[in-house]
Amino acid sequence: MVKEVEKAGIPIVQMCNLIPVAKTVGSNRIVPTISIPYPLGDPATPKETQWKLRYSRTKTALLSLTADITEQTVFPV
Amino acid sequence: MKKAVVYINQFFGQIGGEDKADFAPVFKKEKIGPALEFAKNLNAEIIGTVICGDNYMGSNADKAVDEIIELLEGKEFDIFLAGPAFQAGRYGVACGTICKAIKAKYNIPVITSMNVENPGVEMFKKDMYILKGGNIASKMRADVAAMIKLANKILNNEEIGSAQDEGYFGRGIRRQVWREDLKPASERMIEMLLKKIRGEAFETELPIPEPDRVPIAPPIKDLSKARIAILDTGGIVPVDNPDKIQSASATRWGRYNIENIDSLKSGVYKTIHAGFDPAAADADPNVVVPIDVLKTLNKEGVYGSLHPYFYTTVGTGTTQAEAMRMANEMIPYLKEDNVDGVIMVST
Amino acid sequence: MKLEIGNFYVKDIVFGSALSYDKGLLTINKDEALDFIRQDERITEAQLYIAKPGDKIRLCPVKEAIEPRIRLNGKGSFPGYTSNLDKAGEGISYALKNCSVLVVGRHWGGFQDGLIDMSGEGQKYTLFGSLNNIVLVADTDEVFEQREQQKKNDALRRAGHRLAEFIAQCVKNLTPEDREVFELEAVIKRNPEIEKLPSVVYVMQPQSQMEEIGYNDLVYGWDMNRMLPTFMHPNEVLDGALVSGSFMPVSSKWSTYDFQNCPNIKALYKEHGKTINFLGVIMSNLNVALEQKERAALFVAQIAKTLGAEAAIVAEEGYGNPDADFIACCVALEDAGIKTVGVTNECTGRDGQSQPLVTLDVKCDAIVSCGNVSELIELPPMETVLGELESLGRDGLSGGWADDEILGPSVRKDGSIIMENNSMFCGDMVCGWSPKTMKEF
Repeated sequence: MVKEVEKAGIPIVQMCNLIPVAKTVGSNRIVPTISIPYPLGDPATPKETQWKLRYSRTKTALLSLTADITEQTVFPV
Repeated sequence: MKKAVVYINQFFGQIGGEDKADFAPVFKKEKIGPALEFAKNLNAEIIGTVICGDNYMGSNADKAVDEIIELLEGKEFDIFLAGPAFQAGRYGVACGTICKAIKAKYNIPVITSMNVENPGVEMFKKDMYILKGGNIASKMRADVAAMIKLANKILNNEEIGSAQDEGYFGRGIRRQVWREDLKPASERMIEMLLKKIRGEAFETELPIPEPDRVPIAPPIKDLSKARIAILDTGGIVPVDNPDKIQSASATRWGRYNIENIDSLKSGVYKTIHAGFDPAAADADPNVVVPIDVLKTLNKEGVYGSLHPYFYTTVGTGTTQAEAMRMANEMIPYLKEDNVDGVIMVST
Repeated sequence: MKLEIGNFYVKDIVFGSALSYDKGLLTINKDEALDFIRQDERITEAQLYIAKPGDKIRLCPVKEAIEPRIRLNGKGSFPGYTSNLDKAGEGISYALKNCSVLVVGRHWGGFQDGLIDMSGEGQKYTLFGSLNNIVLVADTDEVFEQREQQKKNDALRRAGHRLAEFIAQCVKNLTPEDREVFELEAVIKRNPEIEKLPSVVYVMQPQSQMEEIGYNDLVYGWDMNRMLPTFMHPNEVLDGALVSGSFMPVSSKWSTYDFQNCPNIKALYKEHGKTINFLGVIMSNLNVALEQKERAALFVAQIAKTLGAEAAIVAEEGYGNPDADFIACCVALEDAGIKTVGVTNECTGRDGQSQPLVTLDVKCDAIVSCGNVSELIELPPMETVLGELESLGRDGLSGGWADDEILGPSVRKDGSIIMENNSMFCGDMVCGWSPKTMKEF
């Protein structure tokens, strides 16, 4: 799906935990998440911690869309 | 008896060489050139030969295809054979082009043959049976015989074996088969291991394909004015799953309005993805689709605006073809709303 | 460590007045066996059936398969699970061969349950279609998960293991028809002739991806989600230390029967001392988060390297994101200079055109492929159904569906079915039975 959106000329960032999977399928912008069942908030942590994590990763994802990249890039978090 | 049409170029159609490569297509009732060879063993009657110049097809493919289809108007045939094209590049591409068009138009089997070096192989191998042929015309008999063998199997409704067994280029379709010797995986594993240890040649049962890449879309220039959309493959839906998205091998997707909400509330949204423990996502759907922080980030002016819908499907077991189709059904909505960038959350 | 298994080859099973075994004939007193099962008060309904190859029987939803075994020292066959924690892998056990106890839900199925046909076209899709099976069809009071797609199936799976032990009692005082001996000397105390041979480890990745306890495979009763890779003796696997779980599309599953008889381990044993020096098993697992996957791969490669392994086999019990664990492990081993062969199944989609594993790496150049989870299978009606066929479409089985625009429902009114291979019970046999491979068309 990521590739189709990219092909349509819209920059897309994939937020996921399994970076090797995103790399294999050919996503160009990748922002890591913390797990498969809860990508953006560990239920074992307080709500506030979850919110902070989600806020920072989502912001990283938004900013990644402005990055002028030339190859597949995993953005640091 | 079933009926067949054979396609060949100007050279094998005995029209002429390079100087006749612009020859416009004709349909002849006679069996010409390779068609005579096909006629020997094919379990079908060859009702005629289509001859077309390679350059004619190469420089006006659409026109050539239309003319050929017109020439075949009203003729009944059950199979279409093109070539063999050996290593002749333009001829190979012509065979592939016409076979693909005939298959699309009549939904009948099409077969051609090319050498591995022929550029037509890469272009068309996923669309049809291309037999692995010789590099020069002196391999004509063998190549035609191979095409006949496969054609007869198809005509007789016999099961078609794997690319390796039948000698065609793999079409990118991988299926499970029972080995004839029923040799269990444990024995195959030992054999492969011993060969690998000893440095002997071995054959993996899963060749690693070349990665498929797409060009990188240009970045957003001014995020503070950009319109952002969010997609997920984690199956976040309204609790009644209105679009009946499947929990695995999904063929359906949904889009849900988020204009007037600040967050995805538990009990209003949930996940229907069967591939992971749903507890966390059900308790707080924002951990998959972060609407809460997206709204905040928007208020803070980090980005311009949020597309009023989020888009959902389920990733597990979903075929690439289905994923591609679903994405292409979503994209018009994104384009229509002038979305500048997309976040995809995958689980 | 030396394990001896005395085999009794079951040729026929009947119900009769007393539990007994005589020259291939297994007789079971049905009432006595059912009373034993009902000792677990969670069991609300239970019936026993016999399903042999050729019988016109379809079983669904099948939850577990166990080979009947008895330990001659009187201790339980599944230490830490059906009995107190104790050693597995040595001593003498007796086994009823060509025979399994199958556990089938009377009504309710789930994502992790499957289907077995005992005859016709569907028979070849599972190993259990070719075995003499004692079938427990039961229901429980675990109403909290009745309508959940993911089920622990705890009462039913335990009932199956206990029943397998119960039935095997009948051979305790008999003389086995043959004996298999599994013995591996300590890794550093082997005969120099054997030490000259290339040394090989078998890396197992049993299913352990559910973060909540109760769904995953167990090792000595311990949930494998909560472990890091460790070194084990292959005899422990063959002797009841591993118990299958209840999470994962079922064609990828390794049942307890598969662990007890693991063909990959037996094949390595067979070559031990001839062509290879079989060091043992590195027991890994399958994880959810990337860091966990990478950590497990790191441990596996380290253990293999420290043991001096020159080659390794890696086998995974799953597909989809577990492929990331599988590929990471193979790559880590190759990077450590260990020649590695992987064993797995694939998911190429109903059209056969999807990427076969979710991650791929060119370093994985030697893979044995055992099947395609997404292959569509259409089967005619079967005279007798044990369980509830509707569950295939109704209860979210991984290879079934309630309805589909193109294919219609999985379970049709006339009893014929259409499903994905995903729901064939232990159908891909990555543990080593698989006569299937993958070919490009």
